[in-house]
Amino acid sequence: MTTGLPQDVTTARPEDVTTGPRQDVTSGRPRDVTSRPSEARTAARPAAPRPALEVTGLDVHYGRGRGRRRALAGVSLSVAPGETVGVIGETGSGKSTLARTVLGLVRPSAGSVRVGGEDVTRYGNRRWRALRRRGVVQYVFQDPLRSLDPDLTIEDSLIEPLLIQGRGRAEATARARSLLDRVRLHDDLLERMPSELSGGQRQRIAVARALMTGPELVLLDEPVSALDSANRVQVLEILKELGAAGTALVLISHDLGSVAGTADRIAVLHHGALVETGAARDVVNRPAHPYTRLLVGSAPTLRTASADRARREALRALLNT
Amino acid sequence: MTPRSPSSAPERTPAAAAAPTAPPKVPPVLSVRDVRIGDRAGHREVVHGVSFGLTPGKAVGVVGESGSGKTLTCRAVLGILPRHFEITGGSVEIAGTDITTLTPSRWTELRGATISAVFQDPASYLNPSIRVGAQIAEVLRVKTGLKRRQARHRAVELLRAVRLRDPALVYGQYPHELSGGMLQRVLIATAVAAGPRVLIADEATTALDVTVQAEILDLLDELREESGLALVVVSHDLAVVAQICDEVLVMRQGEVVEQGPAHEVLHHPRHPYTRLLVAEHEQYGLDRFLDPTEASS
Amino acid sequence: MPRVLALTSGRIAVAVLAVIALLALLGPWLAPQDPLATSDHVLAAASGSHWLGTDHLGRDVFSRLLDGSRVSVLGSLEVALVALVVGAIPGILSVYLGRVFEWVTLRLADTLVALPFLLFAVAVIALLGNGLAQAMFVTGALVSPLFYRVARAATLSVARSPYVEAALVAGASTGWIVRRHVRVKVLPPLAVALAQTIGVGFVIVSSLTFLGIGVQPPAPTWGGLLASDLGYLGQRPWGPVAPALLIMVTVWACNLLADAIRDVSGEAGRALADDREARAARPGTNRPVSAGGTR
Repeated sequence: MTTGLPQDVTTARPEDVTTGPRQDVTSGRPRDVTSRPSEARTAARPAAPRPALEVTGLDVHYGRGRGRRRALAGVSLSVAPGETVGVIGETGSGKSTLARTVLGLVRPSAGSVRVGGEDVTRYGNRRWRALRRRGVVQYVFQDPLRSLDPDLTIEDSLIEPLLIQGRGRAEATARARSLLDRVRLHDDLLERMPSELSGGQRQRIAVARALMTGPELVLLDEPVSALDSANRVQVLEILKELGAAGTALVLISHDLGSVAGTADRIAVLHHGALVETGAARDVVNRPAHPYTRLLVGSAPTLRTASADRARREALRALLNT
Repeated sequence: MTPRSPSSAPERTPAAAAAPTAPPKVPPVLSVRDVRIGDRAGHREVVHGVSFGLTPGKAVGVVGESGSGKTLTCRAVLGILPRHFEITGGSVEIAGTDITTLTPSRWTELRGATISAVFQDPASYLNPSIRVGAQIAEVLRVKTGLKRRQARHRAVELLRAVRLRDPALVYGQYPHELSGGMLQRVLIATAVAAGPRVLIADEATTALDVTVQAEILDLLDELREESGLALVVVSHDLAVVAQICDEVLVMRQGEVVEQGPAHEVLHHPRHPYTRLLVAEHEQYGLDRFLDPTEASS
Repeated sequence: MPRVLALTSGRIAVAVLAVIALLALLGPWLAPQDPLATSDHVLAAASGSHWLGTDHLGRDVFSRLLDGSRVSVLGSLEVALVALVVGAIPGILSVYLGRVFEWVTLRLADTLVALPFLLFAVAVIALLGNGLAQAMFVTGALVSPLFYRVARAATLSVARSPYVEAALVAGASTGWIVRRHVRVKVLPPLAVALAQTIGVGFVIVSSLTFLGIGVQPPAPTWGGLLASDLGYLGQRPWGPVAPALLIMVTVWACNLLADAIRDVSGEAGRALADDREARAARPGTNRPVSAGGTR
């Protein structure tokens, strides 16, 4: 049983259509901000690493007939191995839909999804199951309270992905222990039930669970929003270590602040479309799109700035027209 | 423990006096003095003395993690403590009335008309099967004795006042048709329907998206400026409180560990816990990534 | 379900049902006299030789009750088990086997609910011949929509939960999900339904045997005893009390057990049971007044 994904040379593509120079969406002019992966790619074009995730022109619709509603519109995004990309979006922006489409839980109506170089857009149930079983992509759910089966011990929840792969229980438990260590939890938690754990502990268990199969890509849906600040800091630290260790991460969040320090790049989703993509520091400090500007201007900071109110008002007016 | 002495409060009185609407010595609309709350079953004190005063148009913030006693304090002020808790010491005065003298019927009169509140989960405070407008109109008819038609008119006005884009449309909608931010606006409209002088916002923006949270905070700030509404903003997030409050109380395990003007508590925190809160925010908040130029522009 | 035993109500229910089950197993040997032997002591009152008196043919009522318990217990068990198998399995599968299966089974369940079951049972027996096994099988099938719905509802709520989706994302098959996640969630409500149905089963067996369906006259059954005693109310007014009481206590115990299972299942229930156990284990602590079978 192999855990790694076989290198698929035929799908490695020399050019990256999605991460070019940053576009100023409002004016349509390219902005002269190069993001880290595109730099890497220009530096070593011949042996360009195949992206861990490549989404191109993704359209997703929900419902049918007159109730048909577009959830994603032409979303393109690429995540290099070891890169952490933050996807920022608020309720109804389509951020969860994006994750679910990448995982094959939602079928796109246009565009393509490549996971580890493999075009999974047209995969049927069987091929999806085979792909998932290899454990290349993992998902950490939004709600740490409900993403663990309340009737299973922590150990049983943790080892499930490996058991599904057909591995032995002893091997799986050993790996679970080492991962608990990695997420800074004591391994006496293994025998506990989820209800005995705090929210922060559960979320770290959920992260450990996603790492069981040694994935190349982990999507995390609001990994820290349900946590208090102390746990938040700790989980983000763990994620940073993960990224440094070479795992590609997609952090989906409504909160720019919690992602800005962890992500290399940030993509901003608004009403199902990516309005801005760029290096984290640039997006935060020089937001181009009015929505991003509003997002930055709305984040509560300790610098009391009541003058911002008028500016926010103006941006809201601009976005509503 | 280094609770700031109340002596820091007088520093701010000149500022209040400078405001054109406020006479030099405005009587507080809410004054909480050394309020203690005990658990009847366990015979132990869970809130160990909270004091603050609130004059019209001012905002006081209460920060603390869950279980710090901030919500219990609010509930005590509103006279809606859970059954097994009771006020064991101190006093609360709402617009000059000591709440211990209030009969249940006087309480009912006071709540809504003088003091009002909004909470974290707006959807659970609205009846899902009644149009939101009708629910506001009902509050108006009960609290202010308006006739049906006047109440309807006033409800639409209130929905407009909380910056809902199409108030007449929202009036006829059911709660499930509205987003979380819109529902919170509706609840704020309901809360201010009878023209209260104090509004308690207990984690009112916690469940909302950042931009929506800012909208709600801006709205509260506007209401405060325009109508002199006094605010008690309760949150676990120091930064939320920092946005609109003049004075901040930091609570931990039922104790006020630090209290003082917002800018002082935030920028020169004395108690280790406050420092921890500030440090944590600086670690995960947006502050660290913002260039100084951007913040001041 | 050892947690059921943490509750007083659970213990009482299990104890009563254990006694009934023992009666059913050992009844024929325990019976002091031959339940079919007639005598001249017709309609006698309770006495040392006939603990519950005799019936209109002079047969010992106590022996007949003991002997009849086997039929009642087996019959009600058959009803419940048939209902469980016929109902629960399609109930779980209806969530996973696609729309056609779902539609067909849902309509079938509705149809079965709509049939008046005693009448239907009588009709089927007229076709298949008189036998308790047949009668109970038919009854079981008619009660099965309850299990279908319970199993389906529990499965539906689990199927939408994030942890099932997490397993799906980890590549789990439907079979895996049902075995590992769904089964545990569906069992407690099914156990509740089962306990209730066994109770209902007693009533049904008794009603059918009361009507003379399923068991031929000389063989004793609780329902049959009740029926024959009713005919002699004038001479033996206390006659129906013993069989009626027995049916009542059994059904009550089944319902009590169902309540106890419901109380201890799920998150809250687990905490409740653990709490009770902890209290019981800690001597000297005050038990709350409501420590009995309250919910």
